[in-house]
Amino acid sequence: MPDNRAYFIAAYVLAGVLFGGYIASLWWRSRK
Amino acid sequence: MTESSPAKPGPVFDWFLFLAVALVATAVVRALAFTPYEIAQGAAQKIYYIHVPAALSAYLALGIVAVMSVMFLWLHDPRADRLALAAAEVGLLFTTVVLVTGPLWAKPIWGTWWSWDMRLNLTMFLWFLTAAYLVLRGAVDDEAMRARFCAVLGILAALLIPFIHLSVYLFRTMHPEPIVLQPGPPKLPAEMLYTWILGVVAFAVLCVALIRARYRLEVNRDA
Repeated sequence: MPDNRAYFIAAYVLAGVLFGGYIASLWWRSRK
Repeated sequence: MTESSPAKPGPVFDWFLFLAVALVATAVVRALAFTPYEIAQGAAQKIYYIHVPAALSAYLALGIVAVMSVMFLWLHDPRADRLALAAAEVGLLFTTVVLVTGPLWAKPIWGTWWSWDMRLNLTMFLWFLTAAYLVLRGAVDDEAMRARFCAVLGILAALLIPFIHLSVYLFRTMHPEPIVLQPGPPKLPAEMLYTWILGVVAFAVLCVALIRARYRLEVNRDA
């Protein structure tokens, strides 16, 4: 089995950063 | 354009968004810890459990943009325009996730980050059209004109979606054909199939929850 864990970890981390960043932007924009 | 602003918009962050995040976390834990590795592709195959659900959620969000755009052109209801805006922003987010996770799968499997292949090109065009939709919203001051222009662009952008889905059949392409969303039985073992289904459901719920939160933010701004 090929060892390509770095790509798989990077994909999950970057997806998490994008979703987390968007939720943070919603929070930032919703501040009064 | 008719005036309409709901009297009591709900909070941007509520139980539904937390439920969606919890569901996505469950899907990710199942994919990482409770789903076997595919022997030929190794760990990179697990990118499939977020890449395809993100693509389907992008289709869902941009489909909502198109439906709400038609509703706006028909009824001139600003709620449809607000919902289209919310769905476009979330659609751009999910399309970005697709375009980031795809190359991270392609590099170890194809040996290259990107191929000028029709499925990839059309997805990139969809990203640019959705970004253009959001840029256009900031470029037109008149509300009615902005909503009308954006509605037309939103409908045209969504017309790409069936071509993207069918591109692997219509053109010579390196991109894998659908494994589940095709006429025959799913070409996945049950453990992988259940993880994939959980991912699709979790991302779809997250997509709806984010659109709902973004819509409420817009209502709060306009109130």
